[in-house]
Amino acid sequence: MTSLTALLRPSDRLRAARQSAVRVPPTVAVAAVVIVIVLLWSLVPWLFTSFDPSVGDTAEKLTAPSGAHWFGTDHLGRDVFARVVYGTASSVTSALVAVSIGLVVGSIIGLASGFLRGAVDVVLGRVVDVLLAIPSFLLAVVIVSSLGFQTINAAIATGVSAIAIFARLMRAEVLRARGSVFVEASYLQGGNRLHALLGHILPNTYKSVVALAVLQFGTSILVIASLAFLGYGDPPPASDWGLLVASGKSYATAPWLIYAPALVIVITVLSVNRISTWLRRTR
Amino acid sequence: MTKSYGRYALLRAAQALVVVLLAYIGTFLVISVLPGDPITNMLRDPQNGLSDDQIQQIVAHYGLDKPVIIQLILSLGRFVTGDLGFSLQSNLPVSQLVGDALPSTLTLAGTALALSVVIAVAIAYGVQYLPSRWARGVLRSVPSLFLSVPNFVVGLVLIELFAFRLHTFTTIDPDSAAATLFAALTLAIPVSAPLAEVLIANLDHESRQEYALVARSRGLSQARLFARHLVKPSMLPAVAMIALVVGELLGGAVITETIFGRDGLGTVVQKAVTSQDVPVLQAVVSLAAVVFVTVNLLADLVSPLLDPRLDVKSERKVVVPV
Repeated sequence: MTSLTALLRPSDRLRAARQSAVRVPPTVAVAAVVIVIVLLWSLVPWLFTSFDPSVGDTAEKLTAPSGAHWFGTDHLGRDVFARVVYGTASSVTSALVAVSIGLVVGSIIGLASGFLRGAVDVVLGRVVDVLLAIPSFLLAVVIVSSLGFQTINAAIATGVSAIAIFARLMRAEVLRARGSVFVEASYLQGGNRLHALLGHILPNTYKSVVALAVLQFGTSILVIASLAFLGYGDPPPASDWGLLVASGKSYATAPWLIYAPALVIVITVLSVNRISTWLRRTR
Repeated sequence: MTKSYGRYALLRAAQALVVVLLAYIGTFLVISVLPGDPITNMLRDPQNGLSDDQIQQIVAHYGLDKPVIIQLILSLGRFVTGDLGFSLQSNLPVSQLVGDALPSTLTLAGTALALSVVIAVAIAYGVQYLPSRWARGVLRSVPSLFLSVPNFVVGLVLIELFAFRLHTFTTIDPDSAAATLFAALTLAIPVSAPLAEVLIANLDHESRQEYALVARSRGLSQARLFARHLVKPSMLPAVAMIALVVGELLGGAVITETIFGRDGLGTVVQKAVTSQDVPVLQAVVSLAAVVFVTVNLLADLVSPLLDPRLDVKSERKVVVPV
């Protein structure tokens, strides 16, 4: 069997051998650069553009992308690149808030289910089932409509709708780690349950949970942009990425108003996903 | 087998019922207990021009003057008996609103599901069998790209290119076949990505099995091997995923229908959110949960019958890429 499959595709063995050495593939390096730029946009936006995102020159309204205005200008003559750069902070922060909520609450639920088992597992399992039963975007929409239309509420809603995924992964990872020989050995050496949990089980779960958190960061950017697109985030003059696309769609003659912020969203999420895949494969 | 299967089926059905009821309660609590109290805000809004008598009537119908727990029990009782209440916005029965919107959404979601399966199979086949290594690599990154593009961007770009520039369809008639196809494509693209990932992984696994090698050695062409031997075992885990995908289709419909101007469930949700129409929101979300739970229940009940290797006593494992 082994010899047959080895004959079938020798290139796979080569690939496996190369992957065993830890090295950063070029696409991951590019993705990391993109993420660093996006983070810098959100921290120090004024270093990247000399334009004010909220003040426009009406004489220059709806001009196509050029050397002066990289992403063109909108209906009030505001520089679209500046609006994208200044909108980054809100988009990135809310995605971070969303991931934190999903990660912390989901991990606690998953940890409790997987480690305590029994009745706790059954009860928490149903809670997770309920969260999974409602389509996550619909759940986010309902929560944000109940909390009020603000970007921070959109972030909270997105986070809550991600709890179930984290809980499920964490539970599976804890169950896997708990059944392993090193946990058994720890008990045999006289370690108590808390020691097994903190010293052996948690350290063996965090890698896949981190990979999921990175992936969810990208997903959260998309969900929050979608909520902003529907008008469930902060109203203009805020310039969340999704809101920029939404306000750009009214101007059919100026497609860059859609394409520019859309491209920024796609490249950012693509980079985040690339890093997440790499993290998952190199554990 | 039959006895343990009957027990298993009964247990799963009971579990599904509990989840639906809990989903209803959860939605109810989110909508009515969290700050904002949409119903009273909505009723007091002078724009609605409701007279005091009408407000009294609505308050009495929903039992808004009673404690939350009583409201919940009343509301749950109405839901169980199939009474979905009335829209605060249009005063129409919610069941009528949903019933009118359902065909449009079912057409959209059904077309999208079919398209996403076609796209996923095409990608998986290409990744496995395209002659050029370079082309395989490019195709391999397509699912990841599909997952990175927001739904609304896909829709807007398709409208910009095919409606405004090439005039393949018009947004004035959103229910035409061409417009429906593009709307379905918008919805299908993000959904096809996880399906493609699962198919690629399974196809890779199956084509390494000895039976595939034997079939190849008998002189079967790659296309025939794929169609006759590999598709079926690779699709089984994907079928379990389709149940999960249904929820995503319903969520994505909110955005897709808004962009394409279709009058479906998604638009109903979007309008209900904007006008804080609580009974409509509660009904649509609960129905979405019912659909999702039912589809999953069916998938769970059918798969042990389809694949005898699955043991009903152990927990079911679904291959889902995280």
